[in-house]
Amino acid sequence: MYRYDTLDHTLVAERVAQFRDQTQRFLAGQLSEDEFKPLRLRNGLYIQTHAPMLRVAVPYGLLSTRQVRMLAHLARKYDRGYGHFTTRQNIQYNWPKLEEVPDMLADLATVEMHAIQTSGNCIRNTTADHFAGIAPDEIDDPRPYCEIIRQWSTLHPEFNYLPRKFKIAVTGSPADRAASQVHDIGLHLRRGPDGQIGFEVLVGGGLGRTPIIGKVIRDFLPREHLLSYLEAVLRVYNRAGRRDNIYKARIKILVKAMGEEAFRAAVEQEWALIRDTALLLDVVEIDRMRKYFRPLPYEKLPDIDVTAGREAAFVAWYRHNTRVHKVSGYRAVMVSLKTPGIAPGDMTAEQMDGLADLADRISSGEVRSTHDQNLVLGEVRQQDLYETWQRLTALGLATANIGTLADMICCPGLDFCSLANASSISIAHQITERFSDIDYLYDLGPLEIKMSGCMNACGHHHVGHIGILGVDKHGEEWYQITIGGSASGDSSLGEVIGPSVAKLEVANTLAALLDVYVSIREEDETFLQVVRRVGVTPFRERVYAPNR
Amino acid sequence: MRQIVKHRQCQADAWSMPGEAAAAAGVVVSLADYLAVQAGTLASPAPAGAALGVQLEPADDEAQLLPFAAQLQLVVVNFPKSAEGRGYTQGRMLRERYGYCGELRAAGAVLLDQVFLLARCGFDAFDMAPGENLTLAAAELDRFSVAYQTVVGTVVQPHRRGQVG
Ligand code: HEM
Ligand code: SF4
Repeated sequence: MYRYDTLDHTLVAERVAQFRDQTQRFLAGQLSEDEFKPLRLRNGLYIQTHAPMLRVAVPYGLLSTRQVRMLAHLARKYDRGYGHFTTRQNIQYNWPKLEEVPDMLADLATVEMHAIQTSGNCIRNTTADHFAGIAPDEIDDPRPYCEIIRQWSTLHPEFNYLPRKFKIAVTGSPADRAASQVHDIGLHLRRGPDGQIGFEVLVGGGLGRTPIIGKVIRDFLPREHLLSYLEAVLRVYNRAGRRDNIYKARIKILVKAMGEEAFRAAVEQEWALIRDTALLLDVVEIDRMRKYFRPLPYEKLPDIDVTAGREAAFVAWYRHNTRVHKVSGYRAVMVSLKTPGIAPGDMTAEQMDGLADLADRISSGEVRSTHDQNLVLGEVRQQDLYETWQRLTALGLATANIGTLADMICCPGLDFCSLANASSISIAHQITERFSDIDYLYDLGPLEIKMSGCMNACGHHHVGHIGILGVDKHGEEWYQITIGGSASGDSSLGEVIGPSVAKLEVANTLAALLDVYVSIREEDETFLQVVRRVGVTPFRERVYAPNR
Repeated sequence: MRQIVKHRQCQADAWSMPGEAAAAAGVVVSLADYLAVQAGTLASPAPAGAALGVQLEPADDEAQLLPFAAQLQLVVVNFPKSAEGRGYTQGRMLRERYGYCGELRAAGAVLLDQVFLLARCGFDAFDMAPGENLTLAAAELDRFSVAYQTVVGTVVQPHRRGQVG
């Protein structure tokens, strides 16, 4: 993975010093709440229901075991012994003390980590496919480009006061595992006409109040022009994006208002002026970055049948929680952070330490975070899978539910968030309790449930196969249900099935939807395929049937 | 007299801003007025011998100053709110695209914690928000000793640093 050089170390150390100074000025009363807010936000610090919340950047979801141990240390020393992995591959701490945050940042800096631009109206952490570098269908590893973008976007002098936050996702595979179509910019690695590598560029995707799938504004951008093109998009947005209304300030609204064609023309015009300046990436620089992400020295191993003669629990785990690796004899292992009864994405310090030890022993010494709030051990020899399962089981990280209904995405909701209408976490518990029969979940097949506690859509409900949104009705919690959304290669936004349902009815409503699915599916059809085939109506009729 | 940070020093400002009585040294006017004076449709409000400067608002297009980039001595970029970000682009473009070499001043709701990034966009003078400490603001210009982006005045292109030394 990428390793800091002197420049990176110096920059992060100076950023920590700057934030320490800003915090001291605030605590000494020299900065008002209002003045401190944009400063702390640019460093990932929200003030929430109970306490400040610190969001730490995990660039493109890649962590060394040394970093994982530091995250465990932070959880123990400054928080209540756990952290919360988010839908943008980052980790959040819900209980730090404001005056200790500079110390947390200093600790993070020792392992080449920071919280720079994890919130605020600036370019956020760039996310990527969590199978980057190991997926068989990959055109090129997105991570070197993500690191180039990370550096370019970090404290970019021109783009730190954008109209609104700005998120970039990069994927190297046609199967989009980074939700890139609902990002402000989505970059898809592609091969060009002469076999050269570059990007398809999407702009203007996003969720929140106005969910929109990104539009392709360039079919093929040769990779050496990556930064100049991004800079052109950002400059057009910085100038023309709306600043009078935060609900209309995202780039998606600008693209809609200008029209795709006019927006593309404005970008191309700006790009023509800067494409051959210092922003041009040369091969030497790209190769320097690629070296940091070189494939492991893999052993020559055959694919083996690891399940023969093993207990059913292991077989189920193998089937649901491991994934194909591009090298024979290896598998990628999904580490489930969706233990029933625990908030999706939460992980204790002991689990982090245990996972770090395991990753050092049997994997590459790296751990990846996913946008659906799980973790991945990317490089596990098939012969080590049984031991891996045993150790993960002991850590409580082997629930064999990846890709099933129980693998829900969920925002913090009322438990931690001051904007929430809904207690997303308790709804998640209601659902896991109701659907506790794992064989039923396996029978339902791939099913993505995504839940947000309010319109801001931190839980990506618009792109859930089933989406659940908390709404406030006269001070009571109600839930609006959508079906048919997806954030994969064929992204789509879900459709509302009807009036929102009461809190106690959420799991029952899901049960009705799933009954319809089971009764009309053909052969191996998934829930999403059925919704796409038959539309919302049969589902709506069942849920709102008078006699139900 | 107004105190500003200019060329890293706290100093008195000799110019008058739009809406103030014309100063003997120089008078700053809005972009519309500046263009009108240049077009000969408006008499210059500057006393004889005084220079004429211009103040850009966030929605103004700095490209209109291109013909006058060599003769201008002061461009003020106004930041009505501290969250206003268009001025960063205006500054960079004036320096990098239009070759403007005179004083480039950020004015309005300019806060201590913003001068470093503004300076990286080419600003060399700061008319700070009321209450900001100018000495501390000048010191903020040294907040970072490194940066990742190649902007006006960068010596080694940071994204090519692998090829140096
Ligand atoms: C608890 C404190 C949190 C607050 C106050 C908060 C606030 C917000 C707000 C206001 C937005 C909407 C911004 C917009 O649409 O322009 C947003 C979007 C988002 N948040 Fe959060 N959030 C919180 C926690 C989280 C967590 C824990 C996650 C991850 C699980 C998360 C992931 C996201 C994502 C992915 C979006 C983007 C949706 C989009 O593309 O529009 N947030 N958040
Ligand atoms: S979706 Fe709403 S309730 Fe959930 S974390 Fe985001 S802002 Fe808070």
